[in-house]
Amino acid sequence: MAAPVPWACCAVLAAAAAVVYTQRHSPQEAPHVQYERLGSDVTLPCGTANWDAAVTWRVNGTDLAPDLLNGSQLVLRGLELGHSGLYACFHRDSWHLRHQVLLHVGLPPREPVLSCRSNTYPKGFYCSWHLPTPTYIPNTFNVTVLHGSKIMVCEKDPALKNRCHIRYMHLFSTIKYKVSISVSNALGHNATAITFDEFTIVKPDPPENVVARPVPSNPRRLEVTWQTPSTWPDPESFPLKFFLRYRPLILDQWQHVELSDGTAHTITDAYAGKEYIIQVAAKDNEIGTWSDWSVAAHATPWTEEPRHLTTEAQAPGEPALCPLPGTLSCSSAGGCHTLCTNPAAPRSLPVGHPWQGSWGRGVVPEPWEAGSACRGRRGTFERRVGGSLLGEATPA
Amino acid sequence: MDLRAGDSWGMLACLCTVLWHLPAVPALNRTGDPGPGPSIQKTYDLTRYLEHQLRSLAGTYLNYLGPPFNEPDFNPPRLGAETLPRATVNLEVWRSLNDKLRLTQNYEAYSHLLCYLRGLNRQAATAELRRSLAHFCTSLQGLLGSIAGVMAALGHPLPQPLPGTEPAWAPGPAHSDFLQKMDDFWLLKELQTWLWRSAKDFNRLKKKVQPPAAAVTLHLEAHGF
Repeated sequence: MAAPVPWACCAVLAAAAAVVYTQRHSPQEAPHVQYERLGSDVTLPCGTANWDAAVTWRVNGTDLAPDLLNGSQLVLRGLELGHSGLYACFHRDSWHLRHQVLLHVGLPPREPVLSCRSNTYPKGFYCSWHLPTPTYIPNTFNVTVLHGSKIMVCEKDPALKNRCHIRYMHLFSTIKYKVSISVSNALGHNATAITFDEFTIVKPDPPENVVARPVPSNPRRLEVTWQTPSTWPDPESFPLKFFLRYRPLILDQWQHVELSDGTAHTITDAYAGKEYIIQVAAKDNEIGTWSDWSVAAHATPWTEEPRHLTTEAQAPGEPALCPLPGTLSCSSAGGCHTLCTNPAAPRSLPVGHPWQGSWGRGVVPEPWEAGSACRGRRGTFERRVGGSLLGEATPA
Repeated sequence: MDLRAGDSWGMLACLCTVLWHLPAVPALNRTGDPGPGPSIQKTYDLTRYLEHQLRSLAGTYLNYLGPPFNEPDFNPPRLGAETLPRATVNLEVWRSLNDKLRLTQNYEAYSHLLCYLRGLNRQAATAELRRSLAHFCTSLQGLLGSIAGVMAALGHPLPQPLPGTEPAWAPGPAHSDFLQKMDDFWLLKELQTWLWRSAKDFNRLKKKVQPPAAAVTLHLEAHGF
């Protein structure tokens, strides 16, 4: 075939001239920034170099194996995050830098998660957003707030970059608010929007400074005080109601009290001598939802000084050192004692202290002391405290 | 407005006129009375009760209207229903309302809303809906009476309608079924919002009108409506 030969000949000559030209005239460019999708394949050409140019590629200063090359182009398959870096190709003989690529491997954004909340009613509300999964490359967010047809300004939070604030101009509006957010990066784009009424997003911050104190001479009382959250701007016109929950540390079941007024409450049914955990939540009297639970307060009701102080380590009112309610056991010899490996465990228990034996459990109705007599009928053992029968058991 | 036979809007206007002339509740005896506090509290409690009642009523009624009215994301532009009393108010204006204005706005709003609700009742298709609406109207009437009581206790006269400002919510010539439903939707929405606002209004009144002695001085200020 005569025709292609002279054509091929001209092509080669032209290419050679081009190579010579680019070698002499290509300027030192700033690295070309490139974003590629995780898991995809990418071919990086060495700038304007010819396909068959002799080049070496380096990433972050480290040489790359020539088997990754397709001619002068670098082929990366199945991109991973570790592939991100500065890729440079050099003319193999002269080490002249021909081209640089700053490669960022990432993902297009998934649908953002957007939520809005008013903890400063009636001043305003804020909206926060985040992406459910990271993209590993920079994203820009754009938030728009519409009240009916009116556009409202969402001021960026000075500290948190994924939050902005909107001020209420009017209260008691029947028109819903629509907040839209769009997120985009070099690999893609996504958006979402939420619509809500003014009242539904009201959720105060938790009450502050929750303090619980024992009440002197009252072994079953605890006095709890707290403050309205400092972010709630107008508790006078927009009063809060409160929800208190408390339980002894050793039990799982919470007790609840709802309080429509005031920032104090006295618990009157605490188990004597038990450490309590107490939390408070707040809600606008009429609208919105309950706040999160406050930071927990701990307290133990007042207890009388034990008459027989068997261990110096046991201060009045402190919980018994036995794990879980002290395990009591009766021996056939007729003595009752706590079965604990802890030598500092109390040998006497105050009223209200839960006990648990091999036959059951209960609460000490009267002060119990080690060595209280156990009287046993044939085949059966009774446990008595101060004359009252507490329980029976048959030996194993 | 012309009163054609069977014109429900005409009947509506007639009823509304009657409503405006509710007998004023006589002022409470000043000596030894506990002050307006208890009646403010009672009015506040009534708004809460009504708001609770409205929630189930609105749910039923919106289901009766069908989609899109009963969809939670339904967010239509506020077209039509211009004569509905709007609860929305600028924050600073609301905060600085004096007691008389605050109470008057509440009273006038519920008077209008009650009128419209009675119109709604007339058109409601099912007997159950009519029953619920009638029950709600009765409760709303009670709220109006309660507000009137507070106004009297504080020495404020009941608002009298100026000629030409009677609620005249006449539909346009070709008021379609859909537009009528839209009006119903906005009526219920505005009613709900007013009840929330009233709770806040009466909260504010509660805090301001504490000692009974103050009631006497307020009475003296109330002249000249």
